[in-house]
Amino acid sequence: MTALPAALLAAEWTRLTSTRLWLWGLLAALGSGAFVGLLALAGPENFTPPLPGLDTAQGTHVLLGLLGCTVFAPALLGTVAVSSEYRHRTITTTTLFAPRRWTWLAAKLAVYTGAGLAYGAVAAIVAGGALFGVAVLKGITLGLPTVTVAALLARIALTMAVYTLLGVAVGALLRNQVTALVAVGAYFYMIETVLMLIPGIKELYPYLPGGATAALTGFTYLADALAGQTGTSAAHLLSAPAGAAVLVCYALIAIAVAVAAPLRRDIM
Amino acid sequence: MNIEVRGLTKAFGPITAVTDLSFEVEAGSVTGFLGPNGAGKSTTMRMMLGLVAPASGTATFGGDRYADLPHPSATVGAVLDSAGFHPAHTARDHLRVYARMGGYGTARVNQVADLTGVSAFAGRTTRILSTGMRQRLSLATALLGDPQVLLLDEPSNGLDPEGIAWLRYFLRELAADGRTILISSHVLGKIEHMADHVVVIRDGRLVTTGPVTGLYGSATVLVRCAQADRFAAELMESGVQVERPRPDLLRIHGLSTAQVATAAASHGVTLREITREQPTLEQVFLHLTGGSR
Repeated sequence: MTALPAALLAAEWTRLTSTRLWLWGLLAALGSGAFVGLLALAGPENFTPPLPGLDTAQGTHVLLGLLGCTVFAPALLGTVAVSSEYRHRTITTTTLFAPRRWTWLAAKLAVYTGAGLAYGAVAAIVAGGALFGVAVLKGITLGLPTVTVAALLARIALTMAVYTLLGVAVGALLRNQVTALVAVGAYFYMIETVLMLIPGIKELYPYLPGGATAALTGFTYLADALAGQTGTSAAHLLSAPAGAAVLVCYALIAIAVAVAAPLRRDIM
Repeated sequence: MNIEVRGLTKAFGPITAVTDLSFEVEAGSVTGFLGPNGAGKSTTMRMMLGLVAPASGTATFGGDRYADLPHPSATVGAVLDSAGFHPAHTARDHLRVYARMGGYGTARVNQVADLTGVSAFAGRTTRILSTGMRQRLSLATALLGDPQVLLLDEPSNGLDPEGIAWLRYFLRELAADGRTILISSHVLGKIEHMADHVVVIRDGRLVTTGPVTGLYGSATVLVRCAQADRFAAELMESGVQVERPRPDLLRIHGLSTAQVATAAASHGVTLREITREQPTLEQVFLHLTGGSR
């Protein structure tokens, strides 16, 4: 027997709430929700290039999809959470208190799944509130039924929890905080986009986290825009349930990697 | 609780850190773990605590490997110099996190904070703590589970004389409670007054293990006196080995300070100064290895 699961969860919770990380998380969640609200206020029809308005199904989709594009933020928070153990070398004491290393990592994964869900919920509620608020303000009706909007927002919130897990896994794997943050940031900002430009590899896009997220949120703006610019056909996204399945697979792989990676490593 | 180390071996790439190292630490004793820098002391302690996986060999506490202990942090406490703190945590936050982890209450946090003097700076973030404060916080963390065994890796490194005096006193108190303490150092003088036993390693191999008094071989006493000529002659006549580094200075082998003082009194020699000569760890190594290195 080693430290009790409840004790490990309590410790991770204390660790999360006793630094400002949770505050940054909250601000990022509020910010990404508010960002969608601001875009709604500006109106997709005023974007460059102009997009269908908020009162069309596609216009509402685009704004929800843009919220889906902020999933890298909770991933970064998850990465910071684990890699800071290595950066500040608290990993030694943590491992001394829970020598079966998978136990503290499992506790981290559990706590950060909760944190990721909370993040997603805040971002989705703020974004949803802003969308409906703007619609009222502009005297229009959203282009999608309320139920559909709510369902898409819920999917985005879940996606954010999955991404938090992915971030935790990357942090556990790479350890070096800067490397891990750069890897996560570069992946979501650059690598997936670049992959979409390569004709052969493009077919993989639906199975990459970004592609699966797009399928889940019904957001194809990025893929379509790139296809339009390069004159190639856009990659076909998976169906929403298949996209969800792909994301869950990534989360499971991430958990397996995160739990297995530190087991045999020497902690110096 | 006995500590038993059997055949520990570890290499980092082509560099062998520890080779077939075995020793025992008796329950309730204070044992010094001595060796020059790079001898493999830290690696050995890390292997004992399951932080570093040995290529071969085992280390057990009362028969169990550290990771198999029913309640590790309540059995063994460790102060390792590599252990850090989250810079945004206050000292109390740090203790709270690990108290939660070990299942200890807030009362225990306050207790160890009082015991180690952490209370005086519990509200400060660890970023701004001095080396001495960090060392106290490490010690407080190690004591959260009130462990019977303490492993300390060079705990006085970076401490000022006041900090060292405090640490020495504090560890003596802990030892008086019957705790088993293994304390590493590369400076013999820092632990010789505290340790009952020593384990000496060099280049990752055991040099010797035994009572601390056996380390020095024959003790030497330095004496400054007016009648150095006569005293040296008298001593040598009774078979004592005497050197005379300076005209008024004698280095006497094989006698304690008390024996030298008694001899001086009985020969009517007035001593101006009498000192037991402190061997350095290097001299001890030379003695132990017969000067072969």
